[in-house]
Amino acid sequence: MKGTIVVTGAARGIGRAITERLTTGGPFTVVAADISPELASIEGNVVQVETDLTTEAGLASLVEAVVGTGSELIGLVNNAGITRDSRLVNMSVKDFKSVLDVNLGVSYRLSKELAPLMSDGGSIVNIASRAYLGNFGQFNYSMSKGGVVGLTRSMALSLAPHLRVNAIAPGLIGTEMAMAIPEDVLTKMVSAIPLDRMGTPGEIADVAWFLLTPLSSYITGEVIVVGGGRSLS
Amino acid sequence: MNIHWADRVSDDWPEVRAELERGFEMSRAAAQRGESFVYVVNTNDLLGRGGVGDAMVATGLLSAARTAALEGWAKGWTVNVIAWDGEEGQRDLAATWAERMLDSGGVTGELIRVGSGHIGKALP
Repeated sequence: MKGTIVVTGAARGIGRAITERLTTGGPFTVVAADISPELASIEGNVVQVETDLTTEAGLASLVEAVVGTGSELIGLVNNAGITRDSRLVNMSVKDFKSVLDVNLGVSYRLSKELAPLMSDGGSIVNIASRAYLGNFGQFNYSMSKGGVVGLTRSMALSLAPHLRVNAIAPGLIGTEMAMAIPEDVLTKMVSAIPLDRMGTPGEIADVAWFLLTPLSSYITGEVIVVGGGRSLS
Repeated sequence: MNIHWADRVSDDWPEVRAELERGFEMSRAAAQRGESFVYVVNTNDLLGRGGVGDAMVATGLLSAARTAALEGWAKGWTVNVIAWDGEEGQRDLAATWAERMLDSGGVTGELIRVGSGHIGKALP
């Protein structure tokens, strides 16, 4: 199995871990996209596309880079995401829209652009969040990730049997996003996780690997929660 | 009344976002008044069996309802979702359940399914 796999939000955290897992684990060309210049430090068989995917020009530049690899497009990981947290009563329209545009709009628009270019047997992996089950102070984020679940299910049906589409819903993962949480709040959050720790970006990358490769050849339209058992506690 | 019936949308992102924003505006206004609210969505959309735009709206609203329910609990207001099969004969039934859930007696963050379209399917 070889070919090109696109990863968005690839500069840091989960996206970076997935990119590194792919470049070190298989004969893949990874087209790694992010708005951050930290993208440049990723090594291996990577085409870096530093761009804003919320714009038409940004999307076009990514599609152009994919075509430019000259190899079969076999995977897409929609990982780019942001948070703008506040309680619903205080949430601004701007914060609502910006989270929706990045977390759901980019995933949808990019999937729509790239799915027709993907070869049979290809796989789309959407990074949702355990917050789709509800999370205080994240009305916009939760709605966007719930939308990603709907996107996953609908595209899984419409693209079958040619492509598979699945989602990962990470819980609390040790990324910069989590480290921005006040320490006392973070400690309380970890104490509610049965496995008694945050997850690592590498643990999400392992599940992404599973969903991108034939290891998961009979799975489509599913959401895999990777949260240390937090959905139970 | 604080009942948001999800409108049908096309597969264009601006239209999807506008419909979700309509739900957000209603929700925020209700929350600011300390009032309960309800979303009504189509079961087929929730399952992903309709168009992709409609699926994103339905599941987005369901997740938003769960989060809003967490925020409203301590303040005394509730948020619930009614899903119906979209058959014309069921519309009144869906409306009745939606109105009932505005005064839910402490039930919050729930998905209530009118009809049988959901049976045997994995829900989001």
